[in-house]
Amino acid sequence: MHLTVTVGDMKTGAAGDHIVTHALGSCLGLVVYDPVLKIGGLLHAMLPLSSINPEKAQANPAMFVDTGVPLLFRTLYEQGALKSRLQVKAAGCGAPMGRNEVFKIGERNYTVLKKLLWKNNILLAAEDVGGNHSRTLHFDLETGEVVVAGNGGRRPL
Amino acid sequence: MRLDEILRSVDTLPAMGGAALQVLALIEDSRASASQIEAALRQDPGITGNLLRLANSAYFGIPARIGSVRQAVSLLGLRRVTQMVVAACAAAVLQRPVEGYDLPAGELWRHSLAVSVAAEGLVGEIGIGAGEEIFTAALLHDVGKVVLGRFVREELARIEAALARGLTFEQAETAALGVDHASVGAELLSRWAIPADIVFAVRWHHDPDRAPASHPMLDVVHVANVLCRMIGIGLGREGLQTEPSISVSRRLGVGTGHLERVASRTLQWANDLAQALAA
Ligand SMILES: [Fe+2]
Ligand SMILES: [Fe+2]
Repeated sequence: MHLTVTVGDMKTGAAGDHIVTHALGSCLGLVVYDPVLKIGGLLHAMLPLSSINPEKAQANPAMFVDTGVPLLFRTLYEQGALKSRLQVKAAGCGAPMGRNEVFKIGERNYTVLKKLLWKNNILLAAEDVGGNHSRTLHFDLETGEVVVAGNGGRRPL
Repeated sequence: MRLDEILRSVDTLPAMGGAALQVLALIEDSRASASQIEAALRQDPGITGNLLRLANSAYFGIPARIGSVRQAVSLLGLRRVTQMVVAACAAAVLQRPVEGYDLPAGELWRHSLAVSVAAEGLVGEIGIGAGEEIFTAALLHDVGKVVLGRFVREELARIEAALARGLTFEQAETAALGVDHASVGAELLSRWAIPADIVFAVRWHHDPDRAPASHPMLDVVHVANVLCRMIGIGLGREGLQTEPSISVSRRLGVGTGHLERVASRTLQWANDLAQALAA
């Protein structure tokens, strides 16, 4: 099945599925895959911390990195995924040009992600973060292959 | 430079209908009444239908179902209703796909609504006055893309070359075409008899530091636009190749917390409003 993840959304699937998310700017795109069960998921989180809008986080945990990332892992564990097998890849977290510190939401998204992963002893297998172009992520759940498209090209992550 | 050709093509864009122009004239008239708006809209049932669909969207928070222009005016106020009329008229132009910028049908419209909602959110969040027509200024800020898109596509190689030198997308437009979408939009709107402070905000929305004066409406539209692109609404080919002004964020006293709070509310309202007029 072909699944599309919109901003502040998360989807999981299995072999045969293809998950896509478009227009990653400052948002975090996170892919998690268990190659033995061939199941995985993709999260497109907008903001670092749910404390900024707890009501929203309650209704839509995938909007925030600190609630969305645990949700994605939990969902996959419930389907039998094993932490030791998981391949985790991150993309996005871009920023506009210049030196305006106020607009560093992408960097904050990345920092919160790294803290969460570090606390849980999980390493990123690959990342394509920062910069000021838009990214699209393609995730093939048969092979676990992730492709980043953007800035006029496509490359495997 | 293709400036002449570009400005000539501004004239080929269908102007807003008679109803819209009459209502626009009423924006600046503080004594305008509900019945004047009703009379102007009576000629155009399509616009009236769109107006009512927008007025009934969750963003405006009216629990009752609004069934008539008169009822909309009494529940939302005259100013809101004139803004909705402009939106209902602009929708036809903004909902089209925009070539060059890689915006599929509906995406510029969703971006425009998102910037309007984010701009109003910022005004509330920071607690500043930015002019009552901030919604309309934000809604129309990128209208120039509708005209410039074809030229952007034709000169893409030169634009890409300028981007590779480190220019912002709008600077690259000027380098390749002699004009950017902000100037083209301002030119277009001045022909539509849009109030001057709105045209001013549109003209300088990417370059507030070079504007001849500072204006809170311009500052808020500038910030709201960058924010909406950061959260992926209307990114297209431009991506985040734009530079938020440091003097503007200082002037507004806006911090990351303000931006994040506004962002957390923007997406849903924008989708809601965009869906109100979705075919
Ligand atoms: Fe713009
Ligand atoms: Fe914009």
